[in-house]
Amino acid sequence: MYVTTSEFLDDARSAAKDRGMPQLRIVGVPADRYYRSRSSVAELQPIAAGAFNQIVDDLVRPLTAEEANPEQVHKELQGKTIKVGGTDYSDAAEQVNQLFLDSLWADGLPIVPPTERAVKWMLSGLSRSPDEVIGQVAPKNGTATIEKIAINAVMAGAKPEYLPVIVAAMEGFTDKNYDLTHMQASTGSFTPVVIVNGPIAKELNFNSGIGVLGHGWRPNSTTGRALRLCLLNLGQTWPAMNDMALTGRLESYTFFTFAENQDLSPWEPYHVSLGFKPEDSTVTVATVGNPIVLGGGAVAPWTAQGILDTIASRISNVGFGWFHSQTYIVVLHPDCAVELAKLGYTRKGVQEWLYERSRVPFETLIPVTVGFSHEAVVEFTRQTIADGRIHPARADVFKEALKPGGRVPVVQSPEDFHIFVAGGSPGYDLLFGYPGPNHANQTTKITSSTHTTAGR
Amino acid sequence: MNKPPILPKESLFPIASLRSAEATTAQVTLEVLNPRGEIPPPPTLGIRPRLPNLAGKKIGLCDNGKFGASSFLDAIETMLKQKYPAATILRLPKPAAQTITLTKGWYPEVAAQVDGFIFATGD
Repeated sequence: MYVTTSEFLDDARSAAKDRGMPQLRIVGVPADRYYRSRSSVAELQPIAAGAFNQIVDDLVRPLTAEEANPEQVHKELQGKTIKVGGTDYSDAAEQVNQLFLDSLWADGLPIVPPTERAVKWMLSGLSRSPDEVIGQVAPKNGTATIEKIAINAVMAGAKPEYLPVIVAAMEGFTDKNYDLTHMQASTGSFTPVVIVNGPIAKELNFNSGIGVLGHGWRPNSTTGRALRLCLLNLGQTWPAMNDMALTGRLESYTFFTFAENQDLSPWEPYHVSLGFKPEDSTVTVATVGNPIVLGGGAVAPWTAQGILDTIASRISNVGFGWFHSQTYIVVLHPDCAVELAKLGYTRKGVQEWLYERSRVPFETLIPVTVGFSHEAVVEFTRQTIADGRIHPARADVFKEALKPGGRVPVVQSPEDFHIFVAGGSPGYDLLFGYPGPNHANQTTKITSSTHTTAGR
Repeated sequence: MNKPPILPKESLFPIASLRSAEATTAQVTLEVLNPRGEIPPPPTLGIRPRLPNLAGKKIGLCDNGKFGASSFLDAIETMLKQKYPAATILRLPKPAAQTITLTKGWYPEVAAQVDGFIFATGD
């Protein structure tokens, strides 16, 4: 049997059903008391005592017939279309909006009604079959077809020419190596960054300059919102039901969606550094935590080396535990990148410098999670070396570091610092960290576009 | 908890039907496509038969590594030992608690060792 807190009962029942065990016996302890009593066994004892009889009863009470042989869950029959009426178009659109929100199919902002005509228009942006399956979307593993993605793109207010970018991003989210469940369900406020590279970014007019994370740019806003709606509707999540982000997710409606500023970058585009061709267009999706805004700007003077020092310092002080999967998205504003290039830094050079300078002295290694000890972090890291989550090629580096006098890298390798150039001149630098337990960073080539010269 | 009104899934299409009925007298009808991803359900499994009692049985106490879960089970373990002294209590914390790899083999290991188990999550 299973024990969780009362606030997670819906989530637990939902997960049990998703895994084919809808009859799993679950006991919920009072959340309002549990979370305030976790410091000691003595404080938790009354809560455990309150649940004890139910826990034992769940172990010994004979099964009901339904528990022993539950009815097989069949694929939910979906109506392909729904007719909604109104006195005029505005009234009908309002009825669609209310129906979709009541059904948990929308995000709370007005949606564009996804009529067959609108979806057909959206699909015109891509030369792929509407029935093609892209993948399964966590946590409930809803099937992402091109058509379903297009429906959500219509709802978001996107244009057909954005659809290839949206589909490629969904291919990244549904990649077998991407832990989407963590981003979709975690109690932390993890959220995606979505970064477009290559000639399609300029052709579609993605903002990569001043205001790079802001509003006002339809490609940025609606591509991100289409992905928000896809994750909501294809993964079937809802706040406080199975999306347990306690304070919600930052940039929840549009995610952090922008393009690399390739024109003002002194370096090769990010996607080229990964091995893609310059003429390729790509979209990178990555789960991140709260961004930190660093040096730069139009107010105080700064130096490029000072900014790098600050980034290394911030990374070295955030706490650790997931060295095998930790990644950083470092967004340098163009002036900073140009100054770094003048100092002789390449993108690879920045990665290697950050890797070396953010290493943490073994003695000061602190856990990312309150309640775990230094020793527990060390032991956990040794375990990740032993089980291969830290790549065997990097194992010796960590073994050497995990002893007095050692300096522990905060990521597996320099490539885990993903360096982008974005923003305007002047601009600020941004640091997005991801301390999640599994891989969540994917770059996908954009293909099959019909309305653009790039990404075809 | 402040939640929006939630319609049971089963009621979605009756409501849609209601809208359709209303649409017959409406001046404008919008026919919209369903945005939800279809879920291929896994095979539905029953739960294992329960134990007649805990005497002489091996009970596994498992947690997901989140802070507090282990302490909660410490308290449960103490009570089990007091009330069921003939039961054997095994502590089996989930390895690599939050990772999606490396734990598949752990579940059969637990099942092979115990007669029943209590899994506690810290969140």
